[in-house]
Order: sequence, then structure tokens, then C-alpha cells
Amino acid sequence: MRSPLRDRFARTLAAFGLALAVLLPAASARAATPLLLRIGQVDDLDSLNPFETALELGYEVFTLNYDLLVNFGQNNEPVPGFADSWTQSADQLTWTFHIRDGMKWSDGQPATSADVVYTYQLELNGTKDGGSVGLGYLDPYLKDSFVSSVTAPDPTTVVIKTSRPTSKLVSSYIPILPQHIWKTVTPANVGDFKNNPPIVGTGPYQAVEWKNGQYVRLVRNPYYWGKQGAADQVVIQFFPNAPDTMVAAFKNNELDYIHSPSAEQLNQLKTAKNTVTLATEGNGFTQLNFNAYDKPIPSGGASTTALRDPAFRDALGYAIDKQTLIDKVLLGYGSVGTTQVPAWERNWHVEPNDVRQFSIDTANQKLDTAGYPRGTDGTRVDKQGKPINLRLYFPSTDPSYAKDAQFIQDWYSQVGIKVSSQGLDADTLATDEYLDGSKPLKGQLNYDMVIWAWQGDPDPNALLVILTTSTIGNTSDSQWSNAQYDQLYDQQNQAATDAERKTYMAQMQQLFYDQAPYHILYYDNNLDAYHTDKFGGWQTQPAQGGSPFFVDGSINYTVLTDATKATPAPTPTVNAEPTAGSSGPTASVAPAPAPTDTSSGSPLPLIIGIVAIAALLVVILLMTQRRRKATDEDDE
Amino acid sequence: MGSRYLIRKVVGAAFTIMLIVILNFVLFRMMPGSPDRILLRNPNVSAAAVAAARARWGLDDPLPIQLVDYLKSTATGDLGYSFKFHGEQVTDVLLSRLWPTVILFGLGEVLAIIFGLALGAYSGWKRGGPIDYIGNGISLILYSMPYFVIGILILGVFAIGLHWFPTSGMLTIGGGDESFGSQLLDFLGHLALPVTTVAIGLIGQYSILMRSSVIETLGEDYVTTARGKGLTSGRILRSHALPNALLPAVTLIAINLGYVIGGAITVEVVFNWPGLGTLTVDALEARDYPILQGIFLLLSISVVVANLVADLIYGRLDPRVRA
Repeated sequence: MRSPLRDRFARTLAAFGLALAVLLPAASARAATPLLLRIGQVDDLDSLNPFETALELGYEVFTLNYDLLVNFGQNNEPVPGFADSWTQSADQLTWTFHIRDGMKWSDGQPATSADVVYTYQLELNGTKDGGSVGLGYLDPYLKDSFVSSVTAPDPTTVVIKTSRPTSKLVSSYIPILPQHIWKTVTPANVGDFKNNPPIVGTGPYQAVEWKNGQYVRLVRNPYYWGKQGAADQVVIQFFPNAPDTMVAAFKNNELDYIHSPSAEQLNQLKTAKNTVTLATEGNGFTQLNFNAYDKPIPSGGASTTALRDPAFRDALGYAIDKQTLIDKVLLGYGSVGTTQVPAWERNWHVEPNDVRQFSIDTANQKLDTAGYPRGTDGTRVDKQGKPINLRLYFPSTDPSYAKDAQFIQDWYSQVGIKVSSQGLDADTLATDEYLDGSKPLKGQLNYDMVIWAWQGDPDPNALLVILTTSTIGNTSDSQWSNAQYDQLYDQQNQAATDAERKTYMAQMQQLFYDQAPYHILYYDNNLDAYHTDKFGGWQTQPAQGGSPFFVDGSINYTVLTDATKATPAPTPTVNAEPTAGSSGPTASVAPAPAPTDTSSGSPLPLIIGIVAIAALLVVILLMTQRRRKATDEDDE
Repeated sequence: MGSRYLIRKVVGAAFTIMLIVILNFVLFRMMPGSPDRILLRNPNVSAAAVAAARARWGLDDPLPIQLVDYLKSTATGDLGYSFKFHGEQVTDVLLSRLWPTVILFGLGEVLAIIFGLALGAYSGWKRGGPIDYIGNGISLILYSMPYFVIGILILGVFAIGLHWFPTSGMLTIGGGDESFGSQLLDFLGHLALPVTTVAIGLIGQYSILMRSSVIETLGEDYVTTARGKGLTSGRILRSHALPNALLPAVTLIAINLGYVIGGAITVEVVFNWPGLGTLTVDALEARDYPILQGIFLLLSISVVVANLVADLIYGRLDPRVRA
């Protein structure tokens, strides 16, 4: 009875083999494979509509799809985009942009000044009565430039009038959209416009496929006006909540570039072959922000009035050792933070005078002087005689916040302030720390301190505005209100020249630092890694110490070369200049090892796996042997 | 089978689903945090924009009105629009993520059923033999191991260590060759590791259950009678012991099928498999109520339906429960 079964099995196997043999040649005969640039990052794309994306990834995709009127260059300077040249009138109130002659959309239609007028008018119409367009993230660019009208006297000319002199117009992040595709979209229905692929744009690559939870695939624009990068297609893959898997895929050569691996993962990749790891200065910060709301809130608000006192907040700043946080929490990938304008803003960041030096003694002295004596149990009491026990919250998504919180809890206990810290999910925390102006005050703002981060824009306004009084009830997470700061904000925003603007901004930074509604813990680095054996010509933004991708605009995609075709050695053009001090931006390049090394990945997991399986087998074998011996003895 | 039994079970299931639909709504509103607040994490957002989002998402309506709207649209199969994927219909998002999960877990279940039951039956039959020892030992280890541990081990050895299989995803994107054969091979290559993880994770429980069930059956009087009649061992196993031993396994399989989505989460996250599991985690983080409601509805319905199927099969196999 047995052999027929075996025969049947053999026949099935043969049939399966035959089927495989038919399929396999199809797989091997790959015709003219397009050159793919495969990028991994940890978000899941939310929308292809530029007005509806809340993610850095969304901005990356729309700046690939579309041109801005004026693009961002390698050092964030204005460079030709949809317009190839521009002039400003003598009174500085009229800008004339020249639209490139003969430019076409990716579907072959002519791209003209009418498209600029359509796009800017959509923004102007949507925001004119205090309204917003989509999520409203793109609204400030024209508003802060004081644009009053946009007209197109002829197909290659756009005239924009502003009510004040400003240089912000040429760093506006608004993509120019094709009127012939978008013509039915108005501010009222923009949220319902999906902007399904294939996208029609003037940027270097257009999205042709978006698979929710998987990837977005972009192909080269056949009509692109500028220099073309070597990649025929750009695939951005999504690894939400799975950074380990992303790094594994990168090690396995399934990805060419990864954005935002963890510090530990980046350190591991430093020795991988043909790999460049980058830790670059980021345009953002991680802060400890206080609840400085100045009125009592029934069953809500801060737990002590001390948080409204600048002297108290200032004293607490001496009890934070920022360098230790950078070394221990970020593994060195960050720099000490001071003001709300990150050091990344080279033109605008001004270091404050009298930077606080970490000292528990100074903090204790300052707290004594400010009128917060220790109670009988050593805990300091506020001016109402209430012991100061502060609640510290942070979003549980990023493990580094929890580590920061532990350090701060320990330091503050040394100055007589008890801290209870808790990780909350981002949404709960956001509901706690933002005042909802549309609801009664009761029960709101139930927090004392929060550790979280902000990301900036090319223009420093975004990070300056969140500390103004007008944002309380909206994006203010400190509830700090200072009339002088508010006035300075308007002055810098309306300043006619950059030099004038900077003097106001310097005052704002000093005021912020002294008043301490936040303590900026650090300016985080951006972490990236890429392989050098497939693509060459890597260019970064800024040119010194920047990253290739996930910066402002898509300029660095257009300069990539095919490393397999290039004759010179694939040395990346990254400026691997370690700056003075351990915390500056660094790049490390691992040289390719000797060609005898055939296995590219680490063999460690394999060895562990084999050893574990072998050990298991030995144990089982021993157990069976012993058991058999025992039964044999029983039988006797 | 009596039609009254059938009707009773189906009506019961429908009622359960109704309750779940309502609970589903209440549960997500009870979670602290409101989805519109997270929009404020961009410094550029204005109060007007947040108010507009609230109005568009229907968050300004009083809860009872939201509930009525929700029940009305759910009844017509319209699950609304996703908050996170602006403008995308929940049903579209769910459908695009459903089939990868169904394939992954369906195939994993089938493999686990075949190997688990076979191993369990053989172990029970040859109780005390080497296969029983090794098989039962391994089954116990696998049974107690969470999916993600198995997944990470397999990933480390076969993808990162040996480079035999891709680490993640479902298809190689833009490979150039669009022929069906190569696409299928590519898909199978991506499927191999996660499906093995699922199968390994499930084999343990099937084999342990089947083993004890077979052992129990072998002690029954009718097996002794069969032996007394002089039947061969194989005949006894196939005709007498196995059919009866399968009874508890059927229940377990039916119930497990209902938990397909729940089990999917960890395996899918490890291999970045674009199914309902990864979608759930993502939607939870973004407080995407409509998506979460959709997933939980699907999950509850599949559990209820699986239980119903188990009841019906059981009723067919064992006349006593029909009474």
C-alpha cells in the first residue's frame, strides 16, 4: 500500500517542479529594468493633495510632483522653479516673475502664468476672511508675505503686489498646480479633492501609483525643464511603526536610502559596506515646555502658580544638564539647544547672553531667592504654601522622551521638586496641552510640563509664532503671554530688510530665553543612511553638513548619477568634516571591504539561529534517550 | 439539522453584531483625546483650519446625532471617510488591506492545520515514541512563543543572514518585469517568511490539542471493541479514533479563523506586511475613528461568524447540542 502513495507524491513533486520551471525563465528574463531609487521612511503617506498632508513625507512627495514658484537651492537660497527669473520694483512692493518659455506639464499641456494665478488665488480666496485652505498648513506663506494681488498680464509673466516690502515671498512653500486639472477645486471643496495618481506636475518626478500602507511610486517627468537625475523612478516605501524592518531591508539592499533610523541603528550601519551614514543638524528642537497660563482654571490648569513666575522657570533651567541628555539619550546626535530659532537657521539664530550652566547649587539658590523655600519634608512650596509636585508628560511614541523625563525627574528632585512623569499617546497629550478655544475653560490644560518637539520651516516665523499670545487657544503649548514678544513678532514680520528683521529676532530670542516658557533641551539631528554602490553624485542641503532628501524642495534628486556607469570610484560627495565638538553634524563613510568578503550582511543572527536549533535538538535527543532507558529498565 | 436550531443561532449572531456596532461607537468616543488636536502639531496651522476640520469630520455634532448618523451609514455599508487618509473612503482602505491579511493568515492556517493535526495525531498514536517527544516538546515551545519572537528569529536567519528571502513588503516595486509568472514568484518570495511565522505559531496549539484528543479517544471502549474485532491499527485510527478526535479541533479552528485579524498585528508589523494589522496600529496612533470602527466591525463580525460556523458544524457532528 505504501509505494503507490510514494509514487503519487513523486508525481506531484515533478508537476510542481515543471510548473516552477515554466515560471522561472519569466523571472530571469528581465527586460530593460528601470533604475529605481528606493527610499524607506517611517511614515505612511496621508494624502497626495498638498493642502491635505500633515507629514514631512507629504511635503517630500509634493515637491517632487510640483515646482514652487521659486524653488529652494542647495543652501535654501531662492533658485528658479516654476518661474525662471524675477525682479522686485524700486518701491519693493511689486514683484514680476517670468515663467519659463515653452514649459509643459507632465501631460504635455502648456504650463503658464495662468496656473500661478489659479494656485495663488485659491490660497488668497481661502484665507481672506480668516478662513483656511485644507489643513491650513500652507496658508501663512502668502499671508506673511502680505500679498494683495496676483495677476498675469501675459502667459509668461506674473505680477504679485504686496502691501509691505518683504523677502518672504521667494521662500513660499506653495506648489504651483495645473489649472486644467484643478479647475473645479475651490477653498470649500479642496478637502475632498483626492488628487489621485497619475499626478500632473512640473516637478522632476510624478506619482503614478500610491498603495496605502506600502509605497508611493514616482516616475520621471518626460517634460521636466531642468537637469534630470539618474533614477528613472523613485519609490518611497512606508514602514510605519517598523523602523527595525526598514533597517533590515536597507541592510539587505532592498532600499537605497533610509530616513530616520534610531541612533543605535545608525551606529550599527556605520561599518556596513558601501554605506554612508549622516547625522545632520535639523531645523527643529525638543523642548521642555511649561504651562504658564496666568489665570486659575476650575478642575484644570497647572498644579501650582509657580509656573507663571519667570524666576521659577529660569531657576529650573539650571537643573537641566543638556549635554548629558545629548550624550546619554541621543547618543551624541544633537546639539545643545538655547533659543526657539534652531542653530540650523544660520541667518537668524542668535545665541543668547548669559547661557545657563548646569548647576544644582545655582538652581537651589535661585529657587530660594525667588521665594520658593523648602517645606518640612524638603519639598519646595509655592507662594500659596502648597508643595510643588509637577506632572511631566511626553508622547509615548518616541522612547527618547521617556529617558529625558527620567533625567529631569532626578535633577529636579535634587532641587526639592517632586516630578511624576507619564507617557501619553500623542492625541491625548495634544488634547491636554492645547487650549480648545471653542470649549469652556473648565477642565482644560491639565498639565504642568511637557517634553515634545517642533519642526521648523525654512522661514523662522513658524517657530516664533507659537509663542505669541494670539496662539493661546490654538497652537500655543506654553500658554505664555508677553506683550513685548508679541510686538517684536509683528515688527520682525513687517521688517523691510533682513538686517532689521534680525535685530528684532535677536531680541525675541533673548526674551524667550530669559523668560523661559520653554527650556530647549536640544536641537535634534536628522539621521539618514544611503548606499553608494548604485547611485553617485549625492548632494546635500545645506551643502555643508546637510542631508540629500527630506530637506526643502527636491533639488537633490535631480543630481544623482548612476554609480555603476560612472568610471571614478564611488566616493560620495558628502562633506565628511567633523565639526569642532562632539555634537556637530557628522557623516561617516564606510569603505568597501576587500572583494573576498562575499556575505554582505552580519552573520551573527544566522550563527545564533543555528546554535539555538542545534542546542534544542541535543536536548531533545538526550531526553528521549533517558526516557527510553527508563522504560527499558521498567520492562526488565 | 433542525431549522429552529439554525434560526436561533443566526438571529443570536445578528443581535450580537448589532450590539457590537453600538459598542464600537461608544468605545472609541470614550478614549481620551480628540483627533483634531493633533493637527496643531504644525506651527503653521490656524484656528480656522482646525475648526474647519472638526466640522468636516462631524466632530461638532452632539454624540447622539453622531451615533444616529453612524448607524444609518453603517446599515447602508458606508463606513465614512478616513481622518488620516484625507478623502479616502474607509471601505476602500479596508478592502485594499483585507486581502493581504486573508492570504497570509488563510494560508498560514491551512499549513498549520495540515502539519499540526498530522503531527498531533501521530504523536498521540505513537505515544511515548521519539516523534512524540520531539514533536510535543517543540509544540510546547512554539505554543508559548509570541508571533513576533518567531518572526524576528526567522527574519534574522533567512532574510538578513542568508539573504534567501526579502525582508519586508508584499511585492518588489517597479521591478520592470510585469509578467504574471514573475509577479507570482515575487509575491510568494515575500509571503514565505510571514506565512511560515504564522504557521509555526499555530502548529503548536493544533498539535497539542490533537495529541491529547487522540490519546483520549484511544482509551474509549469502542476502540477496544474495534481492536477486539481484529481491525488493523491503521483502520482503527482512520475509521474510529480520528473522526471523533477531530471534534475539538474543528471548534478551535473555527474560533481561530475569527481571530485572524487580531493575530495579524504583530506578524504584519515585523514583516511590514500591508494588511489590516499594520493598518490597525497606524489608525490607533492617528485616532482615525472611522478606520478603527471599520476594523473592529470587521473583526467582531468575523469572530461572530466563525463562532456561528463552529456551532453549526458542531451541531451537525454532534446531535446532542441541537436539542
